[in-house]
Amino acid sequence: MEIPFDVANIPGPEMGEVVSPEVIGSYISNAERPLLVVGSEILRDDFFIKIAIEIGKKGIPIAATGHSIRGFVGTEYADNVMYYNLHDLTNCLRDPNWAGLDGKGNYDFVIFFGILYYYASQMLSCIKNFATDPLIRAVSIDRYYHPNARMSFTNITPRREEEYRDMLKRLVKSIRGRQK
Amino acid sequence: MDEIKKGNLFSIAGLENVRISIGEIVEEEKEWEPMGPHPMPRIATLRDWDFKLLNRYKPFYAPVCDMCCLCTYGKCDLTGNKKGACGIRMDAQQGRIVLLACLVGCSAHCGHGRHLLHDMIKKFGRDVPIDFGPEVDIEAPLTRLVCGIKPKTIGDYDKVFSYIEEQIVQLADALHTGQEGSYMDFESKALHMGMLDSLNKEAADIIQIACYGMPTSLPGGGPDVPLVDVGIGTIDTNKPVIIVIGHNVPPAADIGVYLTENELDDKVELGGICCTSIDTTRVYKKAKIASALGRQLRVIRAGIADVIVIDEQCIRADILELCQKVHSPLIATNDKAMHGLVDRTDDDPDKIVDDLVSGRVPGVVILEPDQVGEVAVRTALQMDKKRRSLKFILSDDEFKYYVNDCILCGGCTLACPAGLHIGEANQSAATGSIKPLADLFDLCVGCGRCEQVCKKHIPIVDVITKAAYPQLKEEKGRMRIGRGPIWDSEIREVGAPLVLGTIPGIIAPIGCGNYPNGTKDAWLIVKEFAERNYIVTLTGCMAIDCALWKDEEGKTLYEQHHGGFGGGGVLNIGSCVSNAHIHDAAIKVASIFAGRNLRGNYEEIADYILTRVGACGVAWGAMSQKAASIASGFNRLGVPAVVGPHSAKYRRAFLGRADLKEDWKLIDATDGSEVYVEPGPQHLLVACETVEEALPMMAKLCFRPSDTDRGRSGKLTHYIDLNLKYLNTYPPDWHLFVRTASDIPIATRNALLKKLEDEHGWEIDWKMKKIKEGPIRGYDPSFNPTNLERLIRGKK
Ligand code: SF4
Ligand code: SF4
Ligand code: SF4
Repeated sequence: MEIPFDVANIPGPEMGEVVSPEVIGSYISNAERPLLVVGSEILRDDFFIKIAIEIGKKGIPIAATGHSIRGFVGTEYADNVMYYNLHDLTNCLRDPNWAGLDGKGNYDFVIFFGILYYYASQMLSCIKNFATDPLIRAVSIDRYYHPNARMSFTNITPRREEEYRDMLKRLVKSIRGRQK
Repeated sequence: MDEIKKGNLFSIAGLENVRISIGEIVEEEKEWEPMGPHPMPRIATLRDWDFKLLNRYKPFYAPVCDMCCLCTYGKCDLTGNKKGACGIRMDAQQGRIVLLACLVGCSAHCGHGRHLLHDMIKKFGRDVPIDFGPEVDIEAPLTRLVCGIKPKTIGDYDKVFSYIEEQIVQLADALHTGQEGSYMDFESKALHMGMLDSLNKEAADIIQIACYGMPTSLPGGGPDVPLVDVGIGTIDTNKPVIIVIGHNVPPAADIGVYLTENELDDKVELGGICCTSIDTTRVYKKAKIASALGRQLRVIRAGIADVIVIDEQCIRADILELCQKVHSPLIATNDKAMHGLVDRTDDDPDKIVDDLVSGRVPGVVILEPDQVGEVAVRTALQMDKKRRSLKFILSDDEFKYYVNDCILCGGCTLACPAGLHIGEANQSAATGSIKPLADLFDLCVGCGRCEQVCKKHIPIVDVITKAAYPQLKEEKGRMRIGRGPIWDSEIREVGAPLVLGTIPGIIAPIGCGNYPNGTKDAWLIVKEFAERNYIVTLTGCMAIDCALWKDEEGKTLYEQHHGGFGGGGVLNIGSCVSNAHIHDAAIKVASIFAGRNLRGNYEEIADYILTRVGACGVAWGAMSQKAASIASGFNRLGVPAVVGPHSAKYRRAFLGRADLKEDWKLIDATDGSEVYVEPGPQHLLVACETVEEALPMMAKLCFRPSDTDRGRSGKLTHYIDLNLKYLNTYPPDWHLFVRTASDIPIATRNALLKKLEDEHGWEIDWKMKKIKEGPIRGYDPSFNPTNLERLIRGKK
């Protein structure tokens, strides 16, 4: 069994699958309304902001939680990113009637990226348990194994940072672009 | 009365108690205020109010565990909001667990308060008057509000605790399998528990203030309370050192008395950890605060204590083992935490001291607070000599050995609740730079989980402490001692500015030290709001932790800011139980400033506070079950709270939906008309990921529908400014809080009107500098907002 990043964080019978970047990429490509949710950990290096923007440019809207919005201000992509509190956002996601960031309705596929592990884990738990009809799939592309996500990467230690960055690049590559 | 006629035995038993006490109250209390509608409310009495809150701030659940194992039908898998064998759904099960947490928290405060009352009655008698001096007429706002009682002596608290205890039992009953099945009702019960908890805290603090003469409104109290030393570096280890840990002050107070009576107060150090230390400084002038909860393990491991005295709550469960390792005898003074030690109450002190000093026993239980002082002090004096040559901080060679021994397996990181990258820091120390390791000291919450999994048996906590030792020795702060109640005269002064919004709000940092990013966040929160003229009222660990940091001139925030309940004040209210005085301040605004009756009138006052008093709690490191019940108590009274990211693990939040217009309908009490208002406060309980996000969120949760235009423009200034400062951008929802042009700060009015026109499509009359179309509602200075139909004075 995969070890959760916070080792005792074993929620129950339904634990997320560890998958490759390409698998997540293909799910994102096939989703009707995907949403990228980023957190403050993406501020640790510009590389992660760039990855988020590249995903955004494939036509996937970005909700910036925590203080991650700072990373987008001043970039050419600033206008396409919206601040949301993560609790508030997850609360909206669990409501099938929520209008979404663009007023066109809720999402069916949510990607968590750069969010503090334990906060992210709880919000993934909410989505798993309560955003079930219609189903929202939530996945993580962080360097942690997230059992509450439907799909997740494995734990990646700082020593394997380059490998992780490669995985993110592979992910971006594997996402099919869409009309915004 | 109806329920008696129905012949329901269970209800009769419950009701009899209530009738008796109400009878007494009515008899005794004719003189002060007419009785309101809800004295000593039972589980369902304030349910309508709760449902009003819960319909706007819908319970949000994030399970920590998808299963339930509370009965032998289980385990049940509730994933995906499935039902268990008993029929309970995941959402109700989460409400149930929340109620359980609040039950534990509330019971801790109630048990503590009751224990204190027993001890104080035994020592001082029932008739100790509750008189807090000329500036505090409303001595017990929550007691008046919830119970309809105006307590005159500590003996009056007997009936208050009887009421709370009965309610706790009824609420605990609801947790049983086959009882409550609605998450809304579980939450209403959790709010009820929270309210009882706030009452507990007030009772406990009032009893200890009255009996020990803690600061109130007498000279040297209130804003003028003295400063004390805080920080591990302030403990003089050249003297014998006694460390007290916990929340119940009588044993520590007895140590202070013994030291004073035996003229040892300059010869022995009395320091503390957590709330007992705060309360000890309120009764013994020479006491010091070694640290808040987060440093407990490390203070003990550092071996500075020649004896450790524990009372109750927030003590490490492995305290005895830790004490034994550093040869610090342990004295347990409370029957709730005896750690397997032998009860030596009433035994000959000579024998107890001899047993402890000789090491024949690692510790003892002494349940009479008045017997603790002598044993603790005499033991410390002798242990100091024995322990002087012992060293518990790692030597340079040991440190080097350990950091080199690390194999970078990452096991510690997976075990660490903060996910700290310890291995990498070890590696860096091994190759010359100890800074990354030293930097972990403040980020570490001192739990010790990492050490248990390290395959190389590296004592990680000690390694980090060693790396940080030079800065640790310099950890020397200053803080005001706990001042207790806010004065009525202070409320009179700030009542109008608070309600009208010219003081932008009250920020209340409270609670434990499970911070996401170290103690400095506590300092930043206080600094940011005090400098913006908010009133900052602190209790518990945050009150301690913010005092560890200083400005360039070497001053702490307590030294920089006044201690009065006014704009820019930084007030240490006291220990966790003292935070009832923060509720009390809000209640007193309603009473003193608005002339509302308090007696048995909880719902109306909570409605007043929710719509008018711009107060926001922040429990940035909330950890305990007490914190869960404390937050629920604030929430039921209409005070929102921001919590740190770990608090997402409490499972439940109360989140409002700014996008749902119907959720924000209020009544104008003047004529009964319905008014759609802006979402203020938007949430009752919300977690933020980082302090940078939390600061603007706190400012946002100070908006109230009653704000005047001047007040609103002040609040809006800070909301926008904090967003620009910490998030580098305008908040996406600032426009929701604009009702009229004069709500916008003059300095930026033109620019913001332009933004409203360009970005939000509002129609602006540029000649008149007025808003023609756009806001949710216009500004009506006579608007008298309420959620309660019964408060409507006349029909339109
Ligand atoms: S209490 Fe209900 S959900 Fe829990 S184990 Fe028993 S049957 Fe299952
Ligand atoms: S003691 Fe500190 S470093 Fe170790 S697991 Fe706990 S928080 Fe992490
Ligand atoms: S568990 Fe021990 S050996 Fe492994 S990285 Fe942590 S300190 Fe090093």
